[in-house]
Amino acid sequence: MEDYTKFRLKGNDELIPLLEAGDDLFILACNKCFKEFTAEDEPECDELAGIAAGLGKKIAGCAKLDFLCNKTLTQKRLVEALPQDAAKIIVVACGLGIQTIADIADLPVCAATDSVSYGGRHGMALTQKLCQACGQCYLNLTGGICPIVDCSKSLVNGQCGGAKNGKCEVDKEKDCAWENIYNRLQAQNRAGELASNPIELRDYSKVDYKFISSYVSSIREKRLDGYYGGLHPSERKELSEHIGLAVFPEPATVVIPLSQHTGAPAQPLVSAGEHVKLGQKIGEAAGYVSAMLHASVSGEVTAVEPRKHPTTGADVLSVVIRSDGKNELHESVKPYENPDSLTADDILEIVREKGLVGMGGAAFPTAVKLKSAKPIDTVLLNGCECEPLLTADHHVMLNYADDIIYGLKVLLRTVGAEKGIIVVEDNKPDVIALLESKTSDIGNIEILEAKTKYPQGAEKMLIKKALGRQVPSGGLPLDVGVVVSNVSTVKAVSDAIQKGMPLIERVVTVTGEKIEKPGNYIVKIGTPVMELVSYCGGVTDDDVAFKLGGPMMGVAISDLNVPVLKGTNGVIAFAPEDSEPSECIRCGRCVDVCPMELYPLYFPKYAGAGNWQGVKDKNVRDCMECGCCDFICSAKIPIRDAIKLGKKEVAAMERKD
Amino acid sequence: MLITQLKPKETIASIAGSKAFYITCEGCREVYFPEEEAAQLREEAAGIGSLVTDYICNPDNLMFQLEKHMEKLNAADTIVVFSCGVGVQTVSACFTGKKVYAGCDTYPLPGGQGVTPLEYDCDQCGECHLNSTGGICPITACSKSLVNGQCGGAKYGKCEVDKDMDCGWERIYRRLEAAGLTDSLLYPVKIRDFAVE
Repeated sequence: MEDYTKFRLKGNDELIPLLEAGDDLFILACNKCFKEFTAEDEPECDELAGIAAGLGKKIAGCAKLDFLCNKTLTQKRLVEALPQDAAKIIVVACGLGIQTIADIADLPVCAATDSVSYGGRHGMALTQKLCQACGQCYLNLTGGICPIVDCSKSLVNGQCGGAKNGKCEVDKEKDCAWENIYNRLQAQNRAGELASNPIELRDYSKVDYKFISSYVSSIREKRLDGYYGGLHPSERKELSEHIGLAVFPEPATVVIPLSQHTGAPAQPLVSAGEHVKLGQKIGEAAGYVSAMLHASVSGEVTAVEPRKHPTTGADVLSVVIRSDGKNELHESVKPYENPDSLTADDILEIVREKGLVGMGGAAFPTAVKLKSAKPIDTVLLNGCECEPLLTADHHVMLNYADDIIYGLKVLLRTVGAEKGIIVVEDNKPDVIALLESKTSDIGNIEILEAKTKYPQGAEKMLIKKALGRQVPSGGLPLDVGVVVSNVSTVKAVSDAIQKGMPLIERVVTVTGEKIEKPGNYIVKIGTPVMELVSYCGGVTDDDVAFKLGGPMMGVAISDLNVPVLKGTNGVIAFAPEDSEPSECIRCGRCVDVCPMELYPLYFPKYAGAGNWQGVKDKNVRDCMECGCCDFICSAKIPIRDAIKLGKKEVAAMERKD
Repeated sequence: MLITQLKPKETIASIAGSKAFYITCEGCREVYFPEEEAAQLREEAAGIGSLVTDYICNPDNLMFQLEKHMEKLNAADTIVVFSCGVGVQTVSACFTGKKVYAGCDTYPLPGGQGVTPLEYDCDQCGECHLNSTGGICPITACSKSLVNGQCGGAKYGKCEVDKDMDCGWERIYRRLEAAGLTDSLLYPVKIRDFAVE
């Protein structure tokens, strides 16, 4: 691959006077973009430092950063890198990098480089000089060969007549572009078009710089709205958003894995042959971070045995219950008396006893989350549902708005917070209107409309967007006085208190281009995914892949004979995307979209070399695996896989120390 | 990284044959591509097949993505590509015997060649002037790309060519003044060398 570095060091005639003019120099180099990702940093920095040292100059420091033109990140990195005694910054970068530094630094900034044009070489692959971006594409007239780039004279009305034996008169190495155009059109029997086309005139005013800059700034604004990074994958929610919520038919058999939450697996309380009732506790939380499990049907326990877990793929101990179809309620399922007089500890106990976990996907035990060691002032409810395709939370909010508000009030009381904010993306105006009308007379509950952007619903993004607070690296929302909860979880809190009902069912969206009849269903925990798919009419064809959850963060499943869990918000069927990774070209897109402001390109690089310390130093643990980097990668590198592996290896490395 | 805009509907209707196959590249994703408008156009046009993919400027990736659709592609009378000019040419090099048409016009991002283009900042002129201008580029910040100071046409700090634009040379002067570095403007007269590349 060619190196399209856009700058080169100035000659000594310019560099020497530049260096001689100051002292306490800080040399800052950009690690370049659009080049093979081989060396981790570039040689010009050391070369310049060498020249300066030869002149007897004092070097206050050197730093090599990635993508200097990325102002948001460079600002932060510069603060860390700039030595206190530096008096002058000398930048090795293209003109963009130099001007970014000049804009943000208080010190005098000098350029040690000239920027080199690579006009016509665009796109991600940068293999050939192809498109000059003239704003008036001629390719339709010329058989897909560009006369602007390929003809030395950029002629648009045919040959100049100077070509000899098919070679250009300006450059004898080069084919005559118009001869290539003619040959290609003739092969397609289209040569006559050349004669019938009117004379073309190039209109240089087509490239409207004002339009371009306003376009670019509007797009950047969208990308940087609320927090850095993120993206706008095509939503495709229309497949299921207008289909009303329905109760899924009673499953004949449910399989309830004892591990479907973050933390220790629960201990079974029942054995094969026993009769259980709806809502009866069948699994006891084993430890502080664990969760209770309850029967989602009444009937007979047919087995307590290892069954395939949908997200881990491993066999885990599960309780299998054959439904008797009666849904006979267990005596423990009854409303609490005087719910308003319940203390915070009472509520925590109920939340724990009723097996509540985060229903947004992570399934973290709710009781643990609510028992904060630090003071909490705000409870944020996540009603963003920023994952494409999914509409489960949307329907929960439409159908159970009162329960959600009740649950939020309970949460506020439990954690002692003053304020509750329900954040909903602006692609759900019906929900926003409904919640606003229901909360207009509640002083401490606010509805916040957020722009649709993935991953808006991630805890840290939500906090930044709603409150402008930054959760520290490695920290939790409670470090900034916030508890974040999913709207479905809060609805379950309401059920637990108002009805005494444990978490035995949830709303699941079954959707995707390949599902015959998408829909939103209230599904018993433990219902086989297979039943959901076939009830929705099955799939449209065999070229299909499945995920539990959304397309961005969902878990791929190959076997549909697995149960719906407490954290299963969707079952999606889609056309599998074929791709083959190629080498990283340092295009910087992953850095541009990473909402945690990381440099994801380094993870596969370091993981491939087994450099786990490097992975750690690039703050792999801050990654929440939202998949933005995977989604945008121009080289199709499975970055998230490298991150997951990296996290494991870093943890192993630390245990060893 | 380029900006693409759809050609007018009528143009696209006139080039697409009765058996058109549509290839849409969203490689630069939402960043520089009118995704929704292209989808609508595709739907209305109802060709014999359609492929929405990304980064077709990478020939290896393109071939990989095309594999599944080869039957329809071979049957198509025209292939209409919604992408920048690079993508159209990559596709057309794969199907030299077929009519491959561009559904978009491509615009440059002059000066925005970095990875996160924010402003028209660097024209890649090959002889960086930033050292004497306080880190503000006179080639891009001045409408006339003057390298030896103001033209004299600015009024109240605004450019005479474009009244919405600040005079680049006034910005340069103000920044140098604030840093106490106005002496750096006392360089010999500069002549731009367009032969540098």
